[in-house]
Amino acid sequence: MARSRRSRRTLTVVVLVVLSLTIISVDLTGRTHTITSGVKSVANGVFSPLRHAVVDVLSPIGDFFAGAVHYGSLQSENQKLRATVGGLRQQQAENAFEKNQLSQLRQLMELKNLPSISALPTVTAQTQEMGTSNFTNTITIDKGRADGVDVGMPVVGAGGLVGQVIQSFHHTAVVRLVNDGQSKVGVSFGTAQSHTATVDGQGPVSLMTADLVPPHTPLHQGEIMYTSGFDAAAFPPGVPVARVTSVHTSAGASQETIAVTPMANLSQLAYVDVVLWEPAA
Amino acid sequence: MSGRATIRVALVALLLLLAQSTVILSIRIGGTHPDILWLLPITAALLAGPETGAIVGFWSGLAFDLVLPTPFGLGALVGCILGYSIGAATVAVDKRAVWLKPVAAVVGSVAADMLFSVLGAIFGQQQMVQIDFFSLFAIVAISSAFLVLPVNRLMRWALLVEGNRRTLVSAHSPESGIW
Repeated sequence: MARSRRSRRTLTVVVLVVLSLTIISVDLTGRTHTITSGVKSVANGVFSPLRHAVVDVLSPIGDFFAGAVHYGSLQSENQKLRATVGGLRQQQAENAFEKNQLSQLRQLMELKNLPSISALPTVTAQTQEMGTSNFTNTITIDKGRADGVDVGMPVVGAGGLVGQVIQSFHHTAVVRLVNDGQSKVGVSFGTAQSHTATVDGQGPVSLMTADLVPPHTPLHQGEIMYTSGFDAAAFPPGVPVARVTSVHTSAGASQETIAVTPMANLSQLAYVDVVLWEPAA
Repeated sequence: MSGRATIRVALVALLLLLAQSTVILSIRIGGTHPDILWLLPITAALLAGPETGAIVGFWSGLAFDLVLPTPFGLGALVGCILGYSIGAATVAVDKRAVWLKPVAAVVGSVAADMLFSVLGAIFGQQQMVQIDFFSLFAIVAISSAFLVLPVNRLMRWALLVEGNRRTLVSAHSPESGIW
């Protein structure tokens, strides 16, 4: 009896493991319109409103408790604020938050004026979530397939290339940030953009690197690298990607060791632009 | 599991999924947030053994996969292995022991995150091992140790419905401490 229970238990686990491996294989081999993408899309459509409802309900409760915890300090702060409210009204336009958002929108406008992007249609999106998983560097934006956003499209904002759409649902999309370990961007730099490299993300805790640059290539600290836009590139040409922070040539190395930081301020992504441009198949 | 128990477990999983993607996601220390979904297979395995732990782990992991940008099915695989392992490892342990749930939660959650990242890298997602593991393990361990008791209560409510009570009684002695 105990033996048959044990073998049934083992069989259940084996079936579940095989099923999981099959699902992973289907997911990894497919692209945009595969079964798993469709299932995720439907689930996202059902789950998103639920999640928003919970956020809408919990936000005031969270604010209430935050207010209750800091009641004393809030009261004195309130009195100070009342005294200075007139002056603050005049300076409202200089409010740090608004300035920050204005600055981000201005950066978006500057990016839109880049020769490479100005000719392409873009969709401005607001960031809903920063990183749903501890294992990937992604953001979720409030624009999806219904707005023309599809997998593979570049996302710009906050001063440069932000990343690329990796999942697109009806009204939302997931963007892989340029510093994610899975991100690789073909770039060019130097006078006449004659040199090329690949900018690799190294995860949130490490600086990005620029690889495949031969030793003694003329390159200086602070140099900006732009998307190369070669044939079959994943990004249109001329979008600022990263700035060189250090260059080091090791003896006998086949390439330069180059550390770069993203041009886009990835911690300030309230608004981004999705460039409605799809990589060549 | 009976049909009613399955519905209850699904409700508990949905509740935790909502909590994970709203409240828990906003609790960030150094960019890392707790992962509470692993507590579902851990508590199910402690309450009803390895088979139920594996089944709950598979389905809750699959639900988790729906909202994650990681490979679809990876959460299901890890959840299934986690549920089975915790159930099998604690089958001979006195379920009334006070230390059992927090220890199982800490060890299980940390092991699950480690397995999740390593398997992810094996399946081609190299970025999954390029993270600050120390912060991740610390945050996941502490949050799991605190949250395992409320999740255990929810799972006990979900699994011990009328139809399922008989199954559990036959599988575990009344002294097992799961009541």
